[in-house]
Amino acid sequence: MEGLFNFLENNSLYIVLFIVLTIWVGVFSYLNILDKRLKAIELEVKETGNEE
Amino acid sequence: MIYKSVLFVLMTVVIIAGFALPIVPQPSVWYEIPDIPGLEEKAKIIFFHVPTAWLSVIAFLMAMVYGVKYLRKQNMDDDAKSNAALQLGMIFTILATVTGSIWAKFTWGAFWHWDPRETSIFILLLIYGSLFALRSAIENEDKRAKLSAVYSIIAFLTVPFFIFIMPRIMTGLHPGSANDDNLGPVVDFKMNGTMQIIFYLSLTAFTMFYFWMWKLGYKSIIIKDKIFKKLI
Repeated sequence: MEGLFNFLENNSLYIVLFIVLTIWVGVFSYLNILDKRLKAIELEVKETGNEE
Repeated sequence: MIYKSVLFVLMTVVIIAGFALPIVPQPSVWYEIPDIPGLEEKAKIIFFHVPTAWLSVIAFLMAMVYGVKYLRKQNMDDDAKSNAALQLGMIFTILATVTGSIWAKFTWGAFWHWDPRETSIFILLLIYGSLFALRSAIENEDKRAKLSAVYSIIAFLTVPFFIFIMPRIMTGLHPGSANDDNLGPVVDFKMNGTMQIIFYLSLTAFTMFYFWMWKLGYKSIIIKDKIFKKLI
Protein backbone atom coordinates (compact mmCIF):
# COMPACT_ATOMS: atom_id res chain seq x y z
CA MET A 1 0.00 0.00 0.00
CA GLU A 2 2.84 2.35 0.93
CA GLY A 3 4.52 1.57 -2.39
CA LEU A 4 1.35 2.32 -4.35
CA PHE A 5 0.98 5.68 -2.62
CA ASN A 6 4.56 6.66 -3.39
CA PHE A 7 4.11 5.54 -7.01
CA LEU A 8 0.97 7.67 -7.41
CA GLU A 9 2.65 10.67 -5.81
CA ASN A 10 5.53 10.47 -8.28
CA ASN A 11 3.31 9.75 -11.32
CA SER A 12 0.36 12.05 -10.81
CA LEU A 13 -1.07 11.30 -14.28
CA TYR A 14 -2.31 7.98 -12.93
CA ILE A 15 -4.42 9.81 -10.35
CA VAL A 16 -6.20 11.56 -13.22
CA LEU A 17 -6.57 8.16 -14.90
CA PHE A 18 -8.40 6.82 -11.85
CA ILE A 19 -10.60 9.92 -11.73
CA VAL A 20 -11.58 9.54 -15.39
CA LEU A 21 -12.22 5.82 -14.88
CA THR A 22 -14.47 6.58 -11.91
CA ILE A 23 -16.40 9.11 -13.99
CA TRP A 24 -16.79 6.56 -16.80
CA VAL A 25 -18.13 3.96 -14.35
CA GLY A 26 -20.56 6.57 -13.01
CA VAL A 27 -21.79 7.66 -16.46
CA PHE A 28 -22.11 4.04 -17.58
CA SER A 29 -24.15 2.99 -14.53
CA TYR A 30 -26.38 6.04 -14.88
CA LEU A 31 -27.08 5.30 -18.56
CA ASN A 32 -27.70 1.66 -17.66
CA ILE A 33 -30.31 2.61 -15.04
CA LEU A 34 -31.89 5.06 -17.49
CA ASP A 35 -32.05 2.31 -20.12
CA LYS A 36 -33.81 -0.07 -17.72
CA ARG A 37 -36.26 2.61 -16.62
CA LEU A 38 -37.12 3.49 -20.24
CA LYS A 39 -37.70 -0.17 -21.08
CA ALA A 40 -40.10 -0.48 -18.12
CA ILE A 41 -42.02 2.63 -19.20
CA GLU A 42 -42.14 1.37 -22.78
CA LEU A 43 -43.66 -1.91 -21.58
CA GLU A 44 -46.19 -0.09 -19.44
CA VAL A 45 -47.28 2.16 -22.31
CA LYS A 46 -47.66 -0.91 -24.51
CA GLU A 47 -49.75 -2.75 -21.89
CA THR A 48 -52.11 0.14 -21.21
CA GLY A 49 -52.48 0.54 -24.97
CA ASN A 50 -53.64 -3.08 -25.27
CA GLU A 51 -56.18 -2.78 -22.49
CA GLU A 52 -58.12 0.02 -24.17
CA MET B 1 -26.38 -7.01 -22.43
CA ILE B 2 -23.42 -8.25 -24.45
CA TYR B 3 -23.35 -4.93 -26.27
CA LYS B 4 -23.08 -2.99 -23.03
CA SER B 5 -20.44 -5.29 -21.55
CA VAL B 6 -18.31 -5.00 -24.70
CA LEU B 7 -18.74 -1.22 -24.65
CA PHE B 8 -17.78 -1.02 -20.97
CA VAL B 9 -14.66 -3.13 -21.40
CA LEU B 10 -13.60 -1.37 -24.64
CA MET B 11 -13.99 2.12 -23.22
CA THR B 12 -12.18 1.14 -20.00
CA VAL B 13 -9.29 -0.28 -22.02
CA VAL B 14 -9.15 2.84 -24.18
CA ILE B 15 -9.13 5.15 -21.15
CA ILE B 16 -6.42 3.16 -19.36
CA ALA B 17 -4.27 2.81 -22.50
CA GLY B 18 -4.90 6.38 -23.60
CA PHE B 19 -3.69 7.75 -20.31
CA ALA B 20 -1.13 5.28 -19.08
CA LEU B 21 0.97 4.17 -22.05
CA PRO B 22 4.47 5.62 -21.64
CA ILE B 23 5.81 8.00 -24.27
CA VAL B 24 9.46 7.37 -25.15
CA PRO B 25 11.73 8.78 -27.90
CA GLN B 26 12.43 5.36 -29.44
CA PRO B 27 9.71 2.77 -28.72
CA SER B 28 11.18 -0.70 -28.31
CA VAL B 29 8.44 -2.56 -26.44
CA TRP B 30 4.89 -2.99 -27.80
CA TYR B 31 3.23 -0.80 -25.16
CA GLU B 32 5.43 2.25 -25.74
CA ILE B 33 4.31 5.07 -28.01
CA PRO B 34 6.68 7.46 -29.84
CA ASP B 35 7.43 10.92 -28.51
CA ILE B 36 6.51 13.81 -30.82
CA PRO B 37 8.70 16.86 -30.13
CA GLY B 38 6.54 19.77 -29.03
CA LEU B 39 3.58 17.57 -28.12
CA GLU B 40 4.87 15.02 -25.56
CA GLU B 41 1.98 13.88 -23.30
CA LYS B 42 -0.39 16.20 -25.12
CA ALA B 43 -0.28 13.86 -28.14
CA LYS B 44 -2.69 11.60 -26.23
CA ILE B 45 -5.54 13.98 -27.07
CA ILE B 46 -5.94 12.02 -30.32
CA PHE B 47 -7.56 9.13 -28.41
CA PHE B 48 -10.36 11.34 -27.07
CA HIS B 49 -10.72 14.45 -29.21
CA VAL B 50 -10.85 12.85 -32.67
CA PRO B 51 -13.61 10.34 -31.71
CA THR B 52 -15.87 13.20 -30.55
CA ALA B 53 -15.55 14.84 -33.98
CA TRP B 54 -16.11 11.45 -35.60
CA LEU B 55 -19.31 10.98 -33.59
CA SER B 56 -20.67 14.29 -34.79
CA VAL B 57 -20.26 13.05 -38.40
CA ILE B 58 -22.04 9.76 -37.57
CA ALA B 59 -24.82 11.59 -35.75
CA PHE B 60 -25.43 14.00 -38.61
CA LEU B 61 -25.34 11.09 -41.07
CA MET B 62 -27.97 9.27 -39.00
CA ALA B 63 -30.06 12.45 -38.87
CA MET B 64 -29.97 12.56 -42.66
CA VAL B 65 -30.75 8.84 -43.09
CA TYR B 66 -33.78 9.07 -40.83
CA GLY B 67 -34.76 12.36 -42.45
CA VAL B 68 -34.95 10.51 -45.79
CA LYS B 69 -36.88 7.68 -44.12
CA TYR B 70 -39.37 10.15 -42.68
CA LEU B 71 -39.94 11.77 -46.08
CA ARG B 72 -40.63 8.37 -47.63
CA LYS B 73 -42.97 6.90 -44.99
CA GLN B 74 -44.13 9.93 -42.97
CA ASN B 75 -43.59 7.99 -39.75
CA MET B 76 -43.13 10.26 -36.71
CA ASP B 77 -40.80 7.70 -35.09
CA ASP B 78 -38.28 8.42 -37.82
CA ASP B 79 -38.50 12.11 -37.03
CA ALA B 80 -37.82 11.31 -33.36
CA LYS B 81 -34.73 9.33 -34.39
CA SER B 82 -33.54 12.14 -36.64
CA ASN B 83 -34.12 14.68 -33.87
CA ALA B 84 -32.26 12.63 -31.24
CA ALA B 85 -29.34 12.19 -33.65
CA LEU B 86 -29.24 15.94 -34.28
CA GLN B 87 -29.11 16.68 -30.55
CA LEU B 88 -26.25 14.25 -30.00
CA GLY B 89 -24.44 15.53 -33.08
CA MET B 90 -24.63 19.07 -31.76
CA ILE B 91 -23.36 18.01 -28.33
CA PHE B 92 -20.39 16.18 -29.81
CA THR B 93 -19.57 19.01 -32.22
CA ILE B 94 -19.43 21.38 -29.25
CA LEU B 95 -17.33 18.86 -27.27
CA ALA B 96 -14.85 18.54 -30.16
CA THR B 97 -14.60 22.33 -30.39
CA VAL B 98 -14.10 22.82 -26.65
CA THR B 99 -11.59 19.98 -26.15
CA GLY B 100 -9.62 21.12 -29.19
CA SER B 101 -9.68 24.70 -28.01
CA ILE B 102 -8.33 23.87 -24.54
CA TRP B 103 -5.58 21.79 -26.11
CA ALA B 104 -4.72 24.49 -28.68
CA LYS B 105 -4.10 27.03 -25.91
CA PHE B 106 -1.24 24.94 -24.55
CA THR B 107 0.13 23.65 -27.87
CA TRP B 108 -0.43 26.37 -30.46
CA GLY B 109 -0.55 29.30 -28.02
CA ALA B 110 -4.14 30.54 -28.24
CA PHE B 111 -7.64 29.14 -27.77
CA TRP B 112 -8.68 29.92 -31.34
CA HIS B 113 -6.64 30.20 -34.56
CA TRP B 114 -9.15 30.10 -37.44
CA ASP B 115 -7.29 27.03 -38.66
CA PRO B 116 -9.28 25.43 -41.57
CA ARG B 117 -10.62 22.69 -39.31
CA GLU B 118 -11.61 25.16 -36.59
CA THR B 119 -13.32 27.35 -39.18
CA SER B 120 -15.17 24.44 -40.71
CA ILE B 121 -16.48 23.13 -37.38
CA PHE B 122 -17.58 26.66 -36.52
CA ILE B 123 -19.58 26.83 -39.76
CA LEU B 124 -21.06 23.39 -39.01
CA LEU B 125 -22.13 24.66 -35.58
CA LEU B 126 -23.88 27.58 -37.29
CA ILE B 127 -25.55 25.35 -39.90
CA TYR B 128 -26.88 22.82 -37.40
CA GLY B 129 -27.61 25.48 -34.78
CA SER B 130 -30.07 27.09 -37.18
CA LEU B 131 -31.80 23.72 -37.56
CA PHE B 132 -32.77 23.84 -33.89
CA ALA B 133 -34.08 27.37 -34.36
CA LEU B 134 -36.12 26.07 -37.31
CA ARG B 135 -37.52 23.15 -35.30
CA SER B 136 -38.55 25.27 -32.36
CA ALA B 137 -40.18 27.88 -34.60
CA ILE B 138 -42.81 25.54 -36.11
CA GLU B 139 -45.73 24.31 -34.01
CA ASN B 140 -47.31 21.95 -36.53
CA GLU B 141 -45.79 18.50 -35.96
CA ASP B 142 -45.85 17.22 -39.54
CA LYS B 143 -44.63 20.45 -41.01
CA ARG B 144 -41.78 20.60 -38.48
CA ALA B 145 -40.77 17.01 -39.22
CA LYS B 146 -40.88 17.57 -42.97
CA LEU B 147 -38.87 20.81 -42.95
CA SER B 148 -36.35 19.45 -40.49
CA ALA B 149 -35.88 16.31 -42.60
CA VAL B 150 -35.25 18.35 -45.74
CA TYR B 151 -32.89 20.69 -43.88
CA SER B 152 -30.93 17.81 -42.33
CA ILE B 153 -30.44 16.29 -45.80
CA ILE B 154 -29.21 19.55 -47.32
CA ALA B 155 -27.07 20.31 -44.25
CA PHE B 156 -25.36 16.93 -44.39
CA LEU B 157 -24.22 17.61 -47.95
CA THR B 158 -21.80 20.16 -46.47
CA VAL B 159 -20.40 17.79 -43.81
CA PRO B 160 -18.04 15.70 -46.01
CA PHE B 161 -16.70 18.90 -47.54
CA PHE B 162 -16.11 20.65 -44.20
CA ILE B 163 -14.78 17.66 -42.28
CA PHE B 164 -12.93 15.58 -44.85
CA ILE B 165 -12.05 17.76 -47.86
CA MET B 166 -11.56 21.42 -46.97
CA PRO B 167 -9.13 20.90 -44.03
CA ARG B 168 -7.02 18.60 -46.20
CA ILE B 169 -6.59 20.85 -49.22
CA MET B 170 -5.80 23.96 -47.19
CA THR B 171 -2.72 24.72 -45.13
CA GLY B 172 -3.33 24.58 -41.40
CA LEU B 173 -2.23 23.46 -37.94
CA HIS B 174 -4.12 20.18 -37.69
CA PRO B 175 -2.41 16.93 -38.70
CA GLY B 176 -3.37 16.03 -42.24
CA SER B 177 -3.37 19.59 -43.59
CA ALA B 178 -1.92 20.25 -47.03
CA ASN B 179 1.37 21.46 -45.57
CA ASP B 180 1.60 18.57 -43.11
CA ASP B 181 5.10 17.45 -44.06
CA ASN B 182 6.93 20.76 -44.12
CA LEU B 183 5.62 22.72 -41.18
CA GLY B 184 7.54 20.97 -38.43
CA PRO B 185 7.11 18.28 -35.82
CA VAL B 186 3.82 19.52 -34.36
CA VAL B 187 1.87 18.85 -37.51
CA ASP B 188 3.86 15.85 -38.68
CA PHE B 189 1.85 13.39 -36.64
CA LYS B 190 2.88 9.80 -37.20
CA MET B 191 1.34 7.00 -35.14
CA ASN B 192 3.02 3.67 -34.51
CA GLY B 193 1.13 0.37 -34.47
CA THR B 194 0.13 0.49 -30.81
CA MET B 195 -1.21 4.02 -31.14
CA GLN B 196 -3.19 3.08 -34.23
CA ILE B 197 -4.80 0.10 -32.50
CA ILE B 198 -5.83 2.19 -29.49
CA PHE B 199 -7.05 4.95 -31.81
CA TYR B 200 -9.31 2.58 -33.76
CA LEU B 201 -10.47 0.89 -30.53
CA SER B 202 -11.34 4.35 -29.27
CA LEU B 203 -13.32 5.13 -32.43
CA THR B 204 -15.19 1.82 -32.03
CA ALA B 205 -15.91 2.39 -28.33
CA PHE B 206 -17.16 5.93 -28.92
CA THR B 207 -19.32 4.78 -31.85
CA MET B 208 -20.91 2.07 -29.68
CA PHE B 209 -21.41 4.63 -26.93
CA TYR B 210 -23.12 6.93 -29.44
CA PHE B 211 -25.58 4.28 -30.62
CA TRP B 212 -26.56 3.51 -27.04
CA MET B 213 -27.14 7.15 -26.16
CA TRP B 214 -29.02 7.67 -29.42
CA LYS B 215 -31.35 4.76 -28.63
CA LEU B 216 -32.09 6.20 -25.18
CA GLY B 217 -32.69 9.60 -26.77
CA TYR B 218 -35.15 8.57 -29.47
CA LYS B 219 -36.95 6.04 -27.27
CA SER B 220 -37.75 8.73 -24.73
CA ILE B 221 -39.02 11.06 -27.50
CA ILE B 222 -41.20 8.29 -28.99
CA ILE B 223 -42.66 7.37 -25.58
CA LYS B 224 -43.34 11.03 -24.82
CA ASP B 225 -45.23 11.35 -28.13
CA LYS B 226 -47.24 8.20 -27.42
CA ILE B 227 -48.29 9.33 -23.93
CA PHE B 228 -49.08 12.80 -25.25
CA LYS B 229 -51.35 11.35 -27.92
CA LYS B 230 -53.19 9.27 -25.32
CA LEU B 231 -53.86 12.28 -23.14
CA ILE B 232 -55.58 14.30 -25.85
